[in-house]
Amino acid sequence: MAGVIPINVRRTNQNKARERTLQTSKVIPIFLTAIALIFFILMLIVPLVSVFVKAFEQGAGLYYAAISDPIAFKAIKLTLITISIVVPINTVFGLIAAWAIAKFKFKGKNLLITFIDLPFAISPVVAGLIFVLLFSTSYGLFAPLLNAWGIKIIFAPAGIVLATLFVTLPFVARELIPLMEAQGTSEEEAALTLGASGFKTFLFITLPNIKWALIYSIMLTAARAAGEFGAVSVVSGHIRGLTNTVPLHVEILYNEYKFSAAFAVASLLTVIAIINVIIKNIADWKIKQQTKI
Amino acid sequence: MSIEISNITKTFDSFKALNNIHLKINTGELVALLGPSGSGKTTLLRIIAGLERADGGSIIFDGKDNTKKTTQDRKVGFVFQHYALFKHMTVFENIAFGLKVRPSKLRPSKEEINKKVHELLALVKMEELAKRYPSQLSGGQRQRIALARALVVEPKVLLLDEPFGALDAKVRKDLRRWLRKLHDKYPITSVFVTHDQEEALDVADRIVILNQGKIEQIGTPEEVYDNPVNPFVYNFLGNVNLFHGRVHKGKAEFGSLKLDVPEHLEARDRQVVSYTRPHDIEICLEAQGHEFIAAEIIFIRAIGPIVNLEMKRVDNGEYIEAEISKENYRNLKLKLGQIVYVKPRDFRIFIPEDYVI
Ligand SMILES: Nc1ncnc2c1ncn2[C@@H]1O[C@H](COP(=O)(O)OP(=O)(O)OP(=O)(O)O)[C@@H](O)[C@H]1O
Ligand SMILES: [Mg+2]
Repeated sequence: MAGVIPINVRRTNQNKARERTLQTSKVIPIFLTAIALIFFILMLIVPLVSVFVKAFEQGAGLYYAAISDPIAFKAIKLTLITISIVVPINTVFGLIAAWAIAKFKFKGKNLLITFIDLPFAISPVVAGLIFVLLFSTSYGLFAPLLNAWGIKIIFAPAGIVLATLFVTLPFVARELIPLMEAQGTSEEEAALTLGASGFKTFLFITLPNIKWALIYSIMLTAARAAGEFGAVSVVSGHIRGLTNTVPLHVEILYNEYKFSAAFAVASLLTVIAIINVIIKNIADWKIKQQTKI
Repeated sequence: MSIEISNITKTFDSFKALNNIHLKINTGELVALLGPSGSGKTTLLRIIAGLERADGGSIIFDGKDNTKKTTQDRKVGFVFQHYALFKHMTVFENIAFGLKVRPSKLRPSKEEINKKVHELLALVKMEELAKRYPSQLSGGQRQRIALARALVVEPKVLLLDEPFGALDAKVRKDLRRWLRKLHDKYPITSVFVTHDQEEALDVADRIVILNQGKIEQIGTPEEVYDNPVNPFVYNFLGNVNLFHGRVHKGKAEFGSLKLDVPEHLEARDRQVVSYTRPHDIEICLEAQGHEFIAAEIIFIRAIGPIVNLEMKRVDNGEYIEAEISKENYRNLKLKLGQIVYVKPRDFRIFIPEDYVI
């Protein structure tokens, strides 16, 4: 018996991803785009614009007065302080967590991912209540300790920072993990073979590759830290000029029927949102450029 | 620098990717790791580079144990299968990277780095493209930049993982010849992975044939091609005709074909497989004794200096492939459908129980 065995098994390694578009009639895409656009205008643009319209309803003078009101000013200050503490901490944590999860294999990885997702799963109000249960000076779990040391967390800025820290914890890691996983480890390995230390590899290879996603996720964290209402509302106690953040201040103005003032302060948060959208677009574009290879 | 791989074993979960690998690579050699997909080639290369930890065994460079050293300390050049160029850096920055990241005491000055990078750009003939980004290069250009980047730190060991895998046939041929010249010019020991036997036979000093995490054979291209130690290597290195038959006291029988096999004098009625390369098939127009079998020509490809013939045995209907020179083909005046007489001029007989194909 005889047989011929061909052995030249060639692998075609050309991963040429070509962008394709569906070849259908022109009517359907136009129709779908129109629906999306109308929905987008109704749900997003109209409310956004109306915030500003309402804010300037009674003139720029009142707008300025609402923002520069001493109590509003204190609220803005507290919000800024919260952001400046929360954002660096969560950025560093998110970066380390994403790096570990995306680039290394270790036991308990899934558990870590679950923990990072926890703040997304828990309602902010419940999160706030958890902090009250832990740190309240009258019935909290750590009440004796806090009373002994004279530390006040609930109904104090510290509680607001803690609650915000908890709520905004997932943003950086969640944004970076998929990107870093997609990028793999080959560039880092190349750097190692060229003699770069672990730190230099991170600094010169990993960081530049995730730069835009990182910037965007930091903006997202900042925006959420500025705008967080539920959890902060529970731990704040609404002490004017002391534990009121911008969103809480807006609520107070609103409840007092000072609509123009409420919208004026709210417009500050809206501006942050708009900046976010712009940075998100730049980031997406840059990431696309980078991963084109 | 010589590399001694001894007793290397690597298991992923419960899968044995490498099983007890022993291999000594001499200083200045260009060695090809050849094997089918999944045979452990990349894994072995990564273990040599320190990118992967072996479960057991040791890696010795120039007599010094490197098993526990980090990748950075091993100072090997590594060219990755998919280039792994730094996307956010220009060609120039990519090549300069290995020098720039040195600790400040060992780092060359800016001018020196500049000079060195241009030297390498000239070497890979890419001087005009220094300012481009990797995404703006063709596959072959990326490959050459990856090589230049690895060479900039003047490694004594160069490891290449399917360096030409993603390129078309013409470019790979040019690049591998170029790699051979480059290797000869520098005092460097190179190991390159490939699953293309032609590539390995073409440029390597020695070929290591891997299969399922084990080394099947080590030898020069001539040795492994002409004297494969087992059926796997025979199959892997070029086309081959198989004849299944029996051997008894030094006589082999493959249907109507009878051959003398003095090396199997002790064999008593055993199943055997005979291997013959297509160019070792002799074709005659008339039968001459028992060493010939009748076959019908069913396919002829007469393009180029070598003519490929496919034939069907008259006695059992099995196929035989042959390669003959154009001259011979013209002399014999072969035609489709013609009955010819075929004999294996050279063959190797393996007793299958000893080997698993
Ligand atoms: N990180 C890993 N985890 C689990 N299994 C792995 C890992 N890396 C490799 N393997 C397995 O080990 C075996 C050898 O892999 P390796 O990459 O060394 O093959 P190869 O010879 O380089 O193949 P190819 O020619 O396809 O590149 C394969 O079966 C592969 O699935
Ligand atoms: Mg491989």
